Amino acid sequence: MNRLRRLKLVLWSITGLALAVATARFLFGLGPVTHLSDAFPWGLWIGFDVMGGVALAAGGFILTATVYIFHLERFHSIVRPAVATAFLGYAAVAVGLLFDLGLPWNIWHMLVFWNPHSPLFEVGWCVMLYLTVLLLEFLPVPTESLPKLRKLYCALLKVRLPLVILGIGLSTLHQSSLGSLFLIMPFRVHPLWYSPALPLLFLTSAIALGLMMVVFESHCTSYFYGREPETDTLASLGSVARYFLAGYLVLRFADLIIRGDAHYLAAPGWHTFLFWLEVTFIAVPALLFSLPRVRTSHSGQFAAAFLGVAGIVFNRIDVGGLAHLPAGAPFYFPAWTEIAITAGVVSTATLVFLFLIERFNVWEQRPVDPEAAPLEAPRFHPVGTTWLGTPAVASRTIYSLAFVLAAALGFALLAPRPAFSRGIPPQPVHRARGGDILWIDGNLNGYGVAFPHAKIEAKLGGDSSCVKCHHMNLPRDRNSGCYECHRDMYLPTDAFRHDWHAAASGANLSCNQCHTAAHPRTASNVKTCGQCHKDLIPPGATIQVKTYQTVGYVEAMHTLCIGCHVNLARQNNKPGFAQCTTCHKEPRPLDDAAAQPKTTGVGILLPAYAPK
Amino acid sequence: MDTWVEFGRGPLFRLAFSLMLLGLLRAVLLTLQNIAEAWFRCADKSLNIKSIVAETLAWLLPAGRLWRKRPVYSTISFLFHIGLIVVPLFLLAHIQLWRAAVGFAWPAIPAKAADWLTLLTILTGLALLIARIAGRRMRAISRTQDYLWPFLLVLPFLSGYLLSHASLSAAGYHRLMFIHVCSAALVMLLIPFTKIAHCVLLPFSQLATAIAWKFVPGSGDRVAATLGYAERPCWIPNARAEQAVQTPTPPEVVAK
Repeated sequence: MNRLRRLKLVLWSITGLALAVATARFLFGLGPVTHLSDAFPWGLWIGFDVMGGVALAAGGFILTATVYIFHLERFHSIVRPAVATAFLGYAAVAVGLLFDLGLPWNIWHMLVFWNPHSPLFEVGWCVMLYLTVLLLEFLPVPTESLPKLRKLYCALLKVRLPLVILGIGLSTLHQSSLGSLFLIMPFRVHPLWYSPALPLLFLTSAIALGLMMVVFESHCTSYFYGREPETDTLASLGSVARYFLAGYLVLRFADLIIRGDAHYLAAPGWHTFLFWLEVTFIAVPALLFSLPRVRTSHSGQFAAAFLGVAGIVFNRIDVGGLAHLPAGAPFYFPAWTEIAITAGVVSTATLVFLFLIERFNVWEQRPVDPEAAPLEAPRFHPVGTTWLGTPAVASRTIYSLAFVLAAALGFALLAPRPAFSRGIPPQPVHRARGGDILWIDGNLNGYGVAFPHAKIEAKLGGDSSCVKCHHMNLPRDRNSGCYECHRDMYLPTDAFRHDWHAAASGANLSCNQCHTAAHPRTASNVKTCGQCHKDLIPPGATIQVKTYQTVGYVEAMHTLCIGCHVNLARQNNKPGFAQCTTCHKEPRPLDDAAAQPKTTGVGILLPAYAPK
Repeated sequence: MDTWVEFGRGPLFRLAFSLMLLGLLRAVLLTLQNIAEAWFRCADKSLNIKSIVAETLAWLLPAGRLWRKRPVYSTISFLFHIGLIVVPLFLLAHIQLWRAAVGFAWPAIPAKAADWLTLLTILTGLALLIARIAGRRMRAISRTQDYLWPFLLVLPFLSGYLLSHASLSAAGYHRLMFIHVCSAALVMLLIPFTKIAHCVLLPFSQLATAIAWKFVPGSGDRVAATLGYAERPCWIPNARAEQAVQTPTPPEVVAK
């Protein structure tokens, strides 16, 4: 087995593992397969797959500009692989994004519902358009050898120059606007990374990264296909890349000093470590590419390009999530499942790239595929003397086996989880405690509202104001409390207790005392509650009871309170009056045990301002 | 022991079950691709699809075919397959586990029927093994896996039957349950890579045979001879040794 087949075997295995994780991600959502949370909504997938992927693909627009606009023909031999890499990079971005979006099927919304104020809108549109441009730029490669598509091929060649120009415009726009995305979070991105100059920094580093990625990719494929890399051409790319790398570092440090945040460089901690690691990875290739001996040697080029690519991709991961500072949230590190998906997307893209290289003239000369070598003798498999046919058949047998085994292993490793929802668990409501101030906390989790009942009653007009909220009197009661009918926190319940009315131990009514017809005995031919309970609905009630199917407690409270608050906020021009924190003054308990309300052994310990 | 049973029912089961499904899918896809490649290579492209489908369906219930030549063996084999397929899929206890995992269920067979089918499977499985050992011609075409499979298939049935009938201590129950779960997992792990893959490949065997008829008679042996495997048959190690059918070696190969 040669190195190419070993590589493909590894890539197929990773893809198989990613298939299992992807199944879990789309069945169960983001929670079980990621370490992302409300505090850390963006992680590896955004940092590497999307932001890193876009930056890695920057080589496409740089080399098309060099060759097709500036006519530097000596780079002609590497422009096709660069465009192929860029195209696959962007396709990987699109796929990676689908994993990260909570509702991936809504991705088309961007096309219809425009929000031109958002940098993400610009990024989205540019990525879509540039992906199309890249496809059209790359299509001449597969179509050139097909006589049936000759017309398409000629048409594509004619529009190449406008496409290249469009590609440069779109790339510069969104390479920088990926940085603009983070301008909105000055207090969230660590000051070592946050800068008003992020768009400029992103563009500069993307150009350097694009150039080095071409070098890196060329060396890798040359190694696996056993051919001579274009060392001289790549050396010129490295020589350009060093200026951008150095320029980027100068910009980065100058920006830090001008912003007055340079003291963070020496502050001990996780973020400082990340920063210096990243800067080292960027500075070393800048230095290596400056040494002529290193620049013109195979291994020197490869090492420098690898370090540079790693450093700038690392920067994207840092900005994209690793270097964020959410208040009070624990530290984020990607789950193995996140890494598996990322690796799977990269592996798939690499496999497609190898396929393109083998099947089409991406290089000036198609590589001799060792698997398709007609001279290699077919052989029997040692185990069970199974006939494996030609080497191509043998390869697909082994690759698919690796894929299947890895996928099964992935399914085995994933945490068990029922593949269905049991629905919302019932949560019975407890009555509000207190008098003039009611502590409303239906499920007694400590996250409630201190409702100044007496104060609001006085404001709304004293005794006559009861009917503005209370809309039902239960038998022998007046202005019954909300919890009497809205009996569950989230589920709808029935205010009418049929069983109690029919039971001998309850009202002991026979069927025909309520149902007017013998058949069918349904809600369609029954007396209404008000026919017996004359004072059920208080006269003048603002809320009309239309059905005895009540909404959940939370929905009932929110509809009633927020409705008035929104109107009052508008009338009195006090926008803050209708916000959550107007009533909810407690921090919301998170799922972890530390944030759960503390109990005294007698009951729940109420917040300080709740009635004592 | 509890933890081991949980391991067998959790990760081990998921590994075996997903490997079985994906492996069988792979086997089907590879077979279809190989059939397609063979078809593209042969000169005569005519295929009587209708008769292939009819043959395939007819072999699903081999009444009047195998029954004519080997009535006892084919009856036993047919009975063996009923319990083998029905009991694991429609046992109430299994369905309950599925309901807990995926949220839906399907009708189960009565416990009595499951018991009798299990016993039938165990007995017919052993009978098949005896038939294989006893018959001279059967021995000649048998590989190691042919002798091992009856044991392997009967083991989960036997342990399952004991689990629902024998009066066991808690520790014994868990030990037996672990054996049950592990043997079932082993069966599922091996299905796609052994002859049991015929559970999905059966519909394509007639198609493969039909394509195979289009090749020149003896061409496989010629290829084997060219590669220096003339003495070794390609898939049944012992069959060629008996030299039941003498294939004349083509003269051009001899000349080489």
